Amino acid sequence: MASVIEGEKKVFMTGNEVAAWAALAAGADIMFGYPITPQNEVMHYWTRLAPRYGRKFLQTEDEISAGFTTCGGLQAGCKAFTATAGPGNVLMQEPYGMAEAMRLPLLAIIQQRGGPSSGTVVYSQQEVTLTTYGGNGEGHRIVYSTASHQEIYDYVIKGFNVAWKYRFPTFVMGDGYQAKMRESMVMYDPAARGIELVPANPIIGLSGEIGVDRECVHLCNIYSLEEELYEVLQKMEADYQKMTPEVVEYDARFCEDAEIIVVSHGVVSRAGQDAVKILRAQGFPAGYFRPITLRPFPQEALRKAVENCKKVLVVESALNQLQRLVKENLYDVALEVDALAKPAVGIIADEIVARYKEFRK
Amino acid sequence: MGGKVVRIALAGEGGQGVQSIAEIITEAAFNEGKEALYCPNFGLEQRGGVSIAFVQIGDSRIGAPKFKTGDIFIALSLRAIKRCRQYIGPETTLVYDSSIVGAEAEVPPNAARVMAIPAIQRSKEELHPRVFNIVIMGAVIGATGVVTMEQAREALEAKLGGKFKQNPDLRELNYRALEMGRDLIGKSGE
Repeated sequence: MASVIEGEKKVFMTGNEVAAWAALAAGADIMFGYPITPQNEVMHYWTRLAPRYGRKFLQTEDEISAGFTTCGGLQAGCKAFTATAGPGNVLMQEPYGMAEAMRLPLLAIIQQRGGPSSGTVVYSQQEVTLTTYGGNGEGHRIVYSTASHQEIYDYVIKGFNVAWKYRFPTFVMGDGYQAKMRESMVMYDPAARGIELVPANPIIGLSGEIGVDRECVHLCNIYSLEEELYEVLQKMEADYQKMTPEVVEYDARFCEDAEIIVVSHGVVSRAGQDAVKILRAQGFPAGYFRPITLRPFPQEALRKAVENCKKVLVVESALNQLQRLVKENLYDVALEVDALAKPAVGIIADEIVARYKEFRK
Repeated sequence: MGGKVVRIALAGEGGQGVQSIAEIITEAAFNEGKEALYCPNFGLEQRGGVSIAFVQIGDSRIGAPKFKTGDIFIALSLRAIKRCRQYIGPETTLVYDSSIVGAEAEVPPNAARVMAIPAIQRSKEELHPRVFNIVIMGAVIGATGVVTMEQAREALEAKLGGKFKQNPDLRELNYRALEMGRDLIGKSGE
């Protein structure tokens, strides 16, 4: 396959366009999708770019179908992906569940919008709970929360690799701002940076005689006996726990001597980082923690970061989604937790600084 | 954080071209090697309502995509002023078109500076109504100095080069519109 990007290329474009380029660079074969704002341009750019590189696209009748056709493409051995947002993310939970059950390496790009229901087409961080634990299962998924166009590119490439290596559905989760805004980033050929792309192989319809040349492939998402499913879930959870230290990612700064640690994720972490710098410059010992994987959550790293601090300030464009994850993972740690929770609207550094000063009183 | 970031908010009716202005200016800043971030407002109001563009240009990484109050706020309609009062603060220079009836009564008292420029009238009389948004772009550049005129011309070329090829007069028209906007800002100070 000819490389999509020769060397490196600094560009100024929208996050959706970056996502489409990243999927191309990652060697994606086909996208299945259904339009929804603010994700539309992932599809639009993919449909423009894909034919130039011999890749494919299918627009389905709705998101349920887009999710299931993605599952089908994966079984046939295609590096298939989809992208959606808001109500589309809700509809896709059923196919995501199938991907969990059958251990399909599904990759989905999520651009969060305001909810509930159609909410706004603009922006939010309200799809955290849905994307991490949305199905009727145990949330055996990998969820990256990106904060910049560079990260959209990096994590889409990484996401395909992780999905095909560990066989858990993988999500690259941005938001309406990241989808639609323009900023600079560097596109690159993964091979030129020493990133090896995990190849896609057919999962069903393999050659050779079953029992002689190979084991049988039994992809199953329904079981007759409760014990059968129980056994499968035990194995799934064990695999997930084994994988966790290998995929978990976070960013922690100034936590060693911090009195209060600001915890934020995704695009809000940009304001979080600026706020901590402002506070430090003013003499306040503030710390910064950002989970990059929301699932698996960097529990160990967060527990270590808060060892010397007294309080945690959770900042999110949602009411209680990151906060719920933080509290769950800090259970039994004696800490005061406060939040700057602004569902469906953006947060700037000054607001965090002000809340921090109130909270430390 | 880091170096000083210039924050520009543009608001107008759908179709007045505020998103195009924001796109061209940030593209020019990027080409000049600056850090630029442009975040459009893309709610349903685009289908007949106020359209807002948030632009930030600086020397280092830009933080949050939107901001509370801008250094400069450009309003191209009365609704735009009314709806976007929240983005005007004590450090904001408010620029609006002098043809907007009733604008004065809607101007928030806390703005640092208020300038009414006859962009619609002058572009209509001396150039062409369609380059009104380029006049506004010239005004933004004149007021902030976020990009050089040279770079702005190159960005226009990149965006409209196809049309310029078909009709070379358009290039001159757009360049003159850019200069008109810059001069209007220079001349309309209190």
